[in-house]
Amino acid sequence: MNESIKEQLELTFKAVVVTIPEDTRIVVNVKKDQVLAVLRFLKDRKFDYLALVSCIDWIEEKEFELVYILTRYMKADEEHTDQKSLHLIVKTRISRQGPQSETATSIFSNAEPYEREIHELFGISFEGHPRLTPLFLERDYEIPPFRKDFDTRKYVEEVFDKIPFVEDKDK
Amino acid sequence: MDRNQITKWLKAPAKMANKYSLHAIYFCTGCGIIEVPPVITSRWDAERFGIIPVATPRQANLFLITGYVSVKTLKPIIRTYEQMPEPKYTVGFGSCPINGGMYWDSYNTIKHLDKYIPIDGWIAGCMPRPEAIFIAVTHLWTLIDKDMANGYIRYRENYESYRRNQEMALGKLEWPPLYPTHSNVKAVENE
Repeated sequence: MNESIKEQLELTFKAVVVTIPEDTRIVVNVKKDQVLAVLRFLKDRKFDYLALVSCIDWIEEKEFELVYILTRYMKADEEHTDQKSLHLIVKTRISRQGPQSETATSIFSNAEPYEREIHELFGISFEGHPRLTPLFLERDYEIPPFRKDFDTRKYVEEVFDKIPFVEDKDK
Repeated sequence: MDRNQITKWLKAPAKMANKYSLHAIYFCTGCGIIEVPPVITSRWDAERFGIIPVATPRQANLFLITGYVSVKTLKPIIRTYEQMPEPKYTVGFGSCPINGGMYWDSYNTIKHLDKYIPIDGWIAGCMPRPEAIFIAVTHLWTLIDKDMANGYIRYRENYESYRRNQEMALGKLEWPPLYPTHSNVKAVENE
């Protein structure tokens, strides 16, 4: 199964690099403009569940890495096996300068909250996303807080430590 | 009923009634709330101590804050606290509300909860055992007896400072002040 998916991917797309680190993991490194095509290709081959969209900040290489994890559920007419389910990890790199990517919501609609989260915490804008509104954060941050150059210590000292104690003042 | 307490009951019946019927608002923050279900159900049975969880802040007079408080959670905490009828008591549960705990350097977690609302007691630990809640409650009884659980009075007296701190953390608040503050009394006088 693993080998056949690897072969199919390598035949269909030229620039993909497929590695198999474990029996149940296949890592697919693709170029930025091929992500959606690869996701759609895998969805057609029954990997129809997007488990996670994540992001990594490689600050020394000045790149963000987007990670899509795909897997599948057992179908009703399938015979049960003890094998663990296969996870496909699609990785792509985008530039840290003005980071931008295309949204995967057209293929997997459950990518929406993940992409909103990444937009909020890493500042990556997703083209064509239906609503990139704030999700978790209440305050405004100059640098999105999950980037590696965001200094949490300095931020806490400037914001939360500056707020005085109420009872101390009265003494 | 304990016979030694008859004089206390005769002196201040309302206070004694408050003390033995602490209604805790079921407000979940962070991980500490996992200790509350065993406390209120049959294993530790908090009703022995007169504690019962209630659904709305309008019926509650004990507020347990059970874990780290993010900036987003701070807003409902303040609103819940302000809706509770007096007398009301707050207890910070776990090390995170006390000084941030493991969220000391967090970009989105407020560190000292007592900068924003008054706290009557703290339960230290990460996590505290359910028994610690009962120890805290018996301490709270002592404090109520001695009129030292006066968080709601301190809140009224220092409301301006609390409100300023809340606005420093949350930006402009969309609800009006609970008590008249110096600045808005002035504004009314000028009109």
